Amino acid sequence: MALLTDAELGSWGTGHIVRTMFPLLVVLCGIVLWAGITLEDAGDLLDRYGLLAVMVPAMIGMGGNLGSILSARLSTRLHLGTTTFDPTDRLLWANVAAIFALAATIFTALAVVVWLIGRLVGTTLTLGQLLWISLASGLSVAAIAVVASVVATYGSYRLGIDPDDTTIPIVTNVVDVFGMLVFLAVSRWVLVG
Amino acid sequence: MQPRGVFWSIYREALPVLAITLLGGLCSGLVLSGLLDSVADFPGLLVMVPVFLATRGNVYGSLGGRIATGLHQGLIQPRFEWNDRLVNAIIASGINAVGISIVIGSLSWGVLRLLGREPAPLRVLVGIVLIASLLTAVVMIVGLLTLLFAGYKTGRDPDNLVGPIVTTLGDVFGMAFLFLAVVIVEVLVS
Repeated sequence: MALLTDAELGSWGTGHIVRTMFPLLVVLCGIVLWAGITLEDAGDLLDRYGLLAVMVPAMIGMGGNLGSILSARLSTRLHLGTTTFDPTDRLLWANVAAIFALAATIFTALAVVVWLIGRLVGTTLTLGQLLWISLASGLSVAAIAVVASVVATYGSYRLGIDPDDTTIPIVTNVVDVFGMLVFLAVSRWVLVG
Repeated sequence: MQPRGVFWSIYREALPVLAITLLGGLCSGLVLSGLLDSVADFPGLLVMVPVFLATRGNVYGSLGGRIATGLHQGLIQPRFEWNDRLVNAIIASGINAVGISIVIGSLSWGVLRLLGREPAPLRVLVGIVLIASLLTAVVMIVGLLTLLFAGYKTGRDPDNLVGPIVTTLGDVFGMAFLFLAVVIVEVLVS
């Protein structure tokens, strides 16, 4: 097969992808650094309640996942020309409703599984406390993920940028930072008062 | 498709994958709680954890999103072959992953210095992220493409798979290789 020229490759060229992505990656790094510093500052809380450290990656990862599912669907629908961003578009609302249903299911499961791990290692967090922490922060993160997905996809589309290059990074990182802040704040509030 | 059908199709397709992601996240969390012991030796390590994990998501999430759209548009076939678009996308994600890991180490070090903290030496922090990201790159690229192609061939919408696959593989292997990198650097430094 003959090699395609850069012009034929268009947005699939290595140089094009790196030039589009790398500056964005650097900016996103700077944003998520905030989550890192929040985590480092919460060291005392993590030392006291080791189960919270176990929850951290699942918690922030899940928010990002929910956002990515929605963004990837929205951006492919844009590419295929079937999304309109009309607030009366019932298919858009079906997507959003599915995200919240998934969040409620998964964050309940997270609390239960972490509670079981806690029973094994013998910590004092109750199922009620874990459900509170998981669902209160989880559903807030889902709401942030939905808003971020719609805004980022629509924004890229209006600015003429391929949403595949931008939306998932923006959404997952925004959700990472807020997920960490909300999770640690809710945990502190439930456990310390 | 009717809204009710769309709702259930997303829920049914995403739930099993999210459940696997949840398990991945929990494994990663157990590694993180093990890593807490090394934080005293390498101040700044905890700051890099979310940034490192997020970057895995960014680089390979973008690769996955691109491949998913390529599959939908018929520009890419669901198999490993010398396709110029596929090769370019893979090389670009490798360059981005390694390049950004140097930025992560330097930026974390710089910001901690600015905040008046005492981070571990610059070369130690950069060394840890660089080793972790090289190891992660190999597993992520092979794993992501294998799972996406397999999913697509069995009739699943790759859009629903990308995020969860990237987060699960990225969290599990990212944390495991970060842990390994810390062990390697501990040996090299001492």
